[in-house]
Amino acid sequence: MSSYKLTYFNGRGRAETTRLLFAAGGIKYEDVRIEGAQWPALKPNTPFGHLPILEVDGVTLSESATIARFVAKRAGLAGEGDVQQARADMVVDAVRDVFGKVAAAFFEKDETKKGELIKELAENTLPTFLNNVEKLANPSGYFVGDSLTWSDIEFYYVLEAAGGMCPGDHLKDKPNLTKVVTNVKTNPGIAKWLEERPQTTF
Amino acid sequence: MPSYKLTYFKGKGRAELARLLFAAGGIEYEDVRVEGEQWAELKPKTPMGQLPILEVDGTMICQGKAIGRLIAKEAGMAGKTHLNQARADMICDGLDDLGMKLMPLFTEKDENKKEEMKKEMTEKTLPSFFDLFEKLASAEGYFVGDSLTWADVNFFAFLGVISGFNQGDHLQGYVNLNKVMGNVSSNPGIAKWLKERPVTQF
Repeated sequence: MSSYKLTYFNGRGRAETTRLLFAAGGIKYEDVRIEGAQWPALKPNTPFGHLPILEVDGVTLSESATIARFVAKRAGLAGEGDVQQARADMVVDAVRDVFGKVAAAFFEKDETKKGELIKELAENTLPTFLNNVEKLANPSGYFVGDSLTWSDIEFYYVLEAAGGMCPGDHLKDKPNLTKVVTNVKTNPGIAKWLEERPQTTF
Repeated sequence: MPSYKLTYFKGKGRAELARLLFAAGGIEYEDVRVEGEQWAELKPKTPMGQLPILEVDGTMICQGKAIGRLIAKEAGMAGKTHLNQARADMICDGLDDLGMKLMPLFTEKDENKKEEMKKEMTEKTLPSFFDLFEKLASAEGYFVGDSLTWADVNFFAFLGVISGFNQGDHLQGYVNLNKVMGNVSSNPGIAKWLKERPVTQF
């Protein structure tokens, strides 16, 4: 049985999909949240100088997509077979492109630039992305096969993050995606986590 | 044996990783290169309106890394355990991060600004990334374990993009990274492809 230690700042950010996956898989892990002041000492001990990192069986992993994929495999949520796994990877890559833009808008300090980035997200990036992925999700509400994979969970999370920045009913007229969100939220492990997780600003 | 059809523009770009991996694995595939009207016609049929796409046994996969990972698995170059696979994923994600940082430089049209950005790239951005990557590569010249994985091939492909853009010995002094490059270019399948591949602008 492996021991898992996830380290990130005190927020959802780029660690939350991993936490959702641990929850969905019913896998115990240490959820370490550090304060800004602790970061400089830890930074040089990470592979790429950023968080999250996952320490498992003496190995340190970084890069949030990598960590999430690894936990998805351990939780049996990566997809069945190479081709399905690739389909899941593909959806997650698109999700991550969008998340990058959400993060950029979130961290932008110049109010005018921030406004422009949010506008671009709301009017361009999000609608295009949602139109594309509505076609990739099936009517049962799964991106891959007929059961939950990490691609569904990653989608759920980017919508949560983007929705915070661009309020609105983004899934109006998107029945497949609406089903995906329901499937994720009603997964027992995830439902429990969503209720219990710390409330944080990001 | 699945049938593979890779479609991209007439260049290396985001498809070269796949081509190098097909070569390394000795896997036959159809190397389709499109432009102009052909692309306009194909675009709405792709999952996300982008290239490259890989068609395998009737399923379409997009996103360069997802495609790379799938071929790496077929070629036995993804990493032997979940943990090793994650280490390979991590390296590839790190390369993507670097690619994102360099994107503005590739698309900048103002010649003066471009020169400034090139200077920033060669004097700051690249060295700080290569310092990190040097520590992640082994003395034998592998990012993961003791044999070639797609992480090594991806690094090689990435250096190709940089060199195409800015001549110079970017890896001077980086012993492990130079070994990685040597391991990739001397892989028999890859060596043959490097000799035979079309010479293109990008």
